[in-house]
Amino acid sequence: MTHTLARPRRLSMEEVRARLGEPESMLENKKIDHIDGFIRRFIAHSPFLSLATADAAGHADCSPRGDYPGFVKVLDEHTLAIPDRPGNRIADSLRNIAENGEVGLCFLVPGMSEVLRVNGRAYPTDEPDVLTRMRTEAKAPVLAIVVEVAEAYFHCGRALLRSRLWDPASTALADELPSVGEVAAAQFGGDLDPQHFEAVLAESYRKLF
Amino acid sequence: MQRTLLDHLDPVADDVVSLVLRGADGPLAPWEPGAHIDVTLPNWLTRQYSLCGDPADRETYRVAVRYDPLSRGGSEYIHRFLRPGRTLDVSLPRNHFPLVPAPRYLFLAGGIGITPVLPMLRAATAAGVPASLVYVGPSAATMPFAGELRAAHGDAVRIVATREHGRPDFGALAAELAPGTLVYCCGPASMLAAAEAAFPAGQLHAERFQPLPRVFAPDTAFDAVCARSGRTVPVPADESLLDVLNHAGFSVPSGCREGVCGSCELTVLDGEPEHRDDIGAPEGRMYACVSRTQGPRLVLDL
Repeated sequence: MTHTLARPRRLSMEEVRARLGEPESMLENKKIDHIDGFIRRFIAHSPFLSLATADAAGHADCSPRGDYPGFVKVLDEHTLAIPDRPGNRIADSLRNIAENGEVGLCFLVPGMSEVLRVNGRAYPTDEPDVLTRMRTEAKAPVLAIVVEVAEAYFHCGRALLRSRLWDPASTALADELPSVGEVAAAQFGGDLDPQHFEAVLAESYRKLF
Repeated sequence: MQRTLLDHLDPVADDVVSLVLRGADGPLAPWEPGAHIDVTLPNWLTRQYSLCGDPADRETYRVAVRYDPLSRGGSEYIHRFLRPGRTLDVSLPRNHFPLVPAPRYLFLAGGIGITPVLPMLRAATAAGVPASLVYVGPSAATMPFAGELRAAHGDAVRIVATREHGRPDFGALAAELAPGTLVYCCGPASMLAAAEAAFPAGQLHAERFQPLPRVFAPDTAFDAVCARSGRTVPVPADESLLDVLNHAGFSVPSGCREGVCGSCELTVLDGEPEHRDDIGAPEGRMYACVSRTQGPRLVLDL
């Protein structure tokens, strides 16, 4: 990488507005402050979401969460709960939430172009009645993330349509990537054996819950 | 697996809906009173429900589902999101709670536990065997099919609304039990415990719809010797026999994965299974989702 290339020019919000134009006011109105029947049905069919958090200084993070459809529980019209299943225990999201409760969620439903977006304030809980509802295969998670909903709305389907995300042919893209073992060997270096790394990972994937 | 079409979904009591499932590919598999089916929901969850319709009706199955406020997604999905017209896959009926011939029956049902008892009472009455039912619930409004039962069986059905009348005295029922009477009980854990305390074990048949909380010896590793295929599969202490067998390429079906439904029944040829199910495994059988062994190996017919 050389320094001869100038940094891409930075625009102010006024300059951005000048280029985009004003939003249609109808779009602002699509945001509601609670979970209605349509949103509840979407969540009940969603097996995947991304969870955006930021620490007290504003450093951002985005983390995937997935389970069976409806794994996120609607506790009432203003409250959701996301199970925190065993992972790598780094707890980036939970550490950020401890400093700064503001979170943004994007829910996906396979085959559906529109995305459900929910923003609100989060905190961790170990409330037994909440964890009981998340039990799968006779195991409950040890923690859940409660989200107090501030705004919820459906995001239009253009991104998913352009990306052909649900087109089965799109999965051919994965064939063009190196295996996770090859990536780990290159990034972590040392004498990491890609095949061994993948075998260990595959073993750990046997227990998903 | 049988494909069905959800014909009706109707409220039948407070927080209880009945589902009528019509065979999508012709007549449905036959069943006997006490049988249940696994229903696979659009959210990938599989749940077990007792059949509570008429066994003579080969066109439809009927089940009833109570909404559980602590639902993991089964009853909540059915009550909130499921609509008539949807196609649903259901299993073949299985029966862990069969009606054994007897000169006389006493049925005890608590709340949604009425479902397996409903066809039992009908079958006993049709066969001319004296049978009575004590049907217990907090109030009449919470008890499905109470009217249907009273209409069909009159005074043979005693409805006890506990909020008004308190719990029925099983001790008194046991004291006046005619010799040879078989007692069938299906209801919540507290009711089953009361029935077990009151009636002699040999006379009582019970079905629970939630696993009984129990403490077992710590899980240990063992070998699953699969006799038919000549393979030995090691089962680590922290994995279920069911998961290990399926990862090893055997296709063991599963449903509840907590020892209630019986989908994952295996034939044991040798070894001492430690049974942890709530079904009561017959001799030479075990349920791979929860049961293990404290010994070094189990020889399975796989």
